[in-house]
This record gives sequence, structure tokens and C-alpha cells, in this order.
Amino acid sequence: MLSPQVSPPLDTAPPARWFARGMRGAVSTPGLVLVATFIGFGGLLHDLAFPIGAGLLSTLLIWALPAQVILIGGLATGASPPALAVAVCLSGVRLLPMVVSLMPLMRGPRPRLGWELLCAHFVAMTLWVEGFRLLPKVAPEGRPAYAAGLGLGLTLLSMAGTAIGFYLTGALPGPLAVALLLLTPISFAILLVRNARQAVDWLAIGLGAAISPLVANSPGGLDLFWAGVGGGTLAFFIARHLPRQRA
Amino acid sequence: MSFHSTELGAMLVVIFFGFLPNEVWRVLGVLFGRRIDPGSVWMQWVQAVATALLAAVVARLLLVPSGALVALPLGLRAGAVGSGIAGFLIVRRSVLAGVLVAEAVLVAGAWWLGVSP
Repeated sequence: MLSPQVSPPLDTAPPARWFARGMRGAVSTPGLVLVATFIGFGGLLHDLAFPIGAGLLSTLLIWALPAQVILIGGLATGASPPALAVAVCLSGVRLLPMVVSLMPLMRGPRPRLGWELLCAHFVAMTLWVEGFRLLPKVAPEGRPAYAAGLGLGLTLLSMAGTAIGFYLTGALPGPLAVALLLLTPISFAILLVRNARQAVDWLAIGLGAAISPLVANSPGGLDLFWAGVGGGTLAFFIARHLPRQRA
Repeated sequence: MSFHSTELGAMLVVIFFGFLPNEVWRVLGVLFGRRIDPGSVWMQWVQAVATALLAAVVARLLLVPSGALVALPLGLRAGAVGSGIAGFLIVRRSVLAGVLVAEAVLVAGAWWLGVSP
């Protein structure tokens, strides 16, 4: 798919220059959609009375909106933190194949573990998509710094969005405040549909959504765990026993 | 007052119950990335669980909401998300178009019903 032979010409710009170029690359349409969803997350934080400093820290450190919503939404419903950590951990699994597939583009010609871990931290849906679009145009020597700059740029924009949403939601008229709060489930639902390719994906979406209200308020705050593991496992086995067919 | 309603307590919860269990996958991706086969049966199961979990999060936010969203009727919450998915599929699979359609339906509905959180 990607041919390393046709890499761009040698560029001897210092890493700081590549880092700055990466940060500029963050200001794009996908970056702005991301900011909008984090404005929704900020509104959710305010609605659930979660402290803004810790909310901003969750955007910087967790840097995966589903995990952030699972953790903070779960705390608001009184779920136990260890049960939420299990749900967060399960939701983060999708990051592993993303890191594995994008790392060859971010690594550069002289791999260094520190840079790899830093670049991997920024891997989430938006950086994954944008990385495949932008990194092939970057000279291999500059790719680790460019990827880190892109990731930090997206993170800073999203932290600004989180703060804006938090302070805006109290000042908005009713219908607009509600629109802000529903931004997160709306964008998640659309991303689920966008990423669904095979029968197992559609089954997992349907079963996860159907089981979730049935197990709401289950003891120990494990409702997301049951809906995720139960619905996902069921979808996995049903899809394996379906007759093989390709649409 | 619960532990996580203070700024410091909430930060510790974010680090230990959010950051660490999530970041472990990124670190594993770096350390063992070249040896993991993303197409293995084990990874397929893991992907199905992650997808179901995300769908469950959406369903819970929509069906069992908290805070200001309680003021919205269920039909409007579900209708907004449904029209957003329809908008996404119709307008060249554009996420932005889907979000805008859903938000337009929601704001119009909330305004018409006179909802105030």
C-alpha cells in the first residue's frame, strides 16, 4: 500500500521546525470537528458537576473521548472506580491496532523508544486518520517530531474546546445547551456507523446498545462491562456461525 | 461530597482509573507492535467487545440520561441521533454533515417544545 521508495527528498530542517509544522497541521477540518465534540464533552463535565481541572487533565492524559465519557459519566451514576477502570481498559483496546498500523509512518529512519511512546500517546481516531493523510508528505527524518507536533496541536485545541464547553453551557439558552450535551452521543453514533464494515461490527453495535438499558443500575456499577463484554462476545460468536458472505 | 467531586480527588481518579488502563494499549502497541497480528481471532473478539462497549455508552447516554438531557423527550433524543446517521449516509458519508443534521433536528425540536434545562 505505502511504498517507502518514493519518500520525499532529504530535508535537514531541525526537529523543532517539524514539530511546529505538525502543530500547524492540526488546524484542519477534522481538527475542528474534534474541537466541537470536546466542546460537547466540556458541557457534559459541567452538567455532571465534574471539576474542570481534572476534566482538562483527562483530555491531556486519557486523550480518548469514549474512555473519558465512560469514566466521568460512570462516576456521575455512582459506579465504582475499579469497575470503571475495567470498562475504560476494554474501550481502549481499539488503540492497539491503531498504534501498530500507524507506527511505521511515525517512527522515522532512526527509531527511539521515547519518541515512539510520545507519538503513540497521541494516537486516537483523529490523529490516526490525519496521520495517514499527512505523514507520507513529510520527510522521514522529520516524522516523529511532526507527529508529536500534530498530536500536541490537536490535544491543545481539544483542551480549549473542553474549557469553552464547560463555561459556555451555563450561559447558553435551553435548546442550545441541550444541543451541546447531545453532541457526544451524536458523534459517537455516527463514528460507529462509519467504522462498521462487517456483520460482526453491526451485531456488536446492536447488541451493545440493546443490552445497555437492560443492565442499567446492575450491582457494582458493572453495567457497561456486561453490555460490552456480553454484547461483544455474543456478536463475535454469532458472526462466526453466520454463513460466509461478502456484501 | 464524594471523593471525586474535589479537584485533587478527581485528578487522581483520572490518572489511576482513566489514564493508566487506557494508555496501556498504546504502550503495548509500541513494545509488541511488530509481533501482534491485528487479524488474529483474539483481536477480532477484542474489537467486537470494544465496539459493543461504545454502542452501550451511546445507548446509555440516550436512553438513561442524566442532568439536563432528562428534560428532552426520548423520541426527540433518539430522533436527533437517527437523523444524524441518515444525514451522514446521505451526504457523502460526511461526519460533519451528520452532526449538523442531528443538531438542527435537536435544536428545532427543543425550541418547539420549549425545553429549558
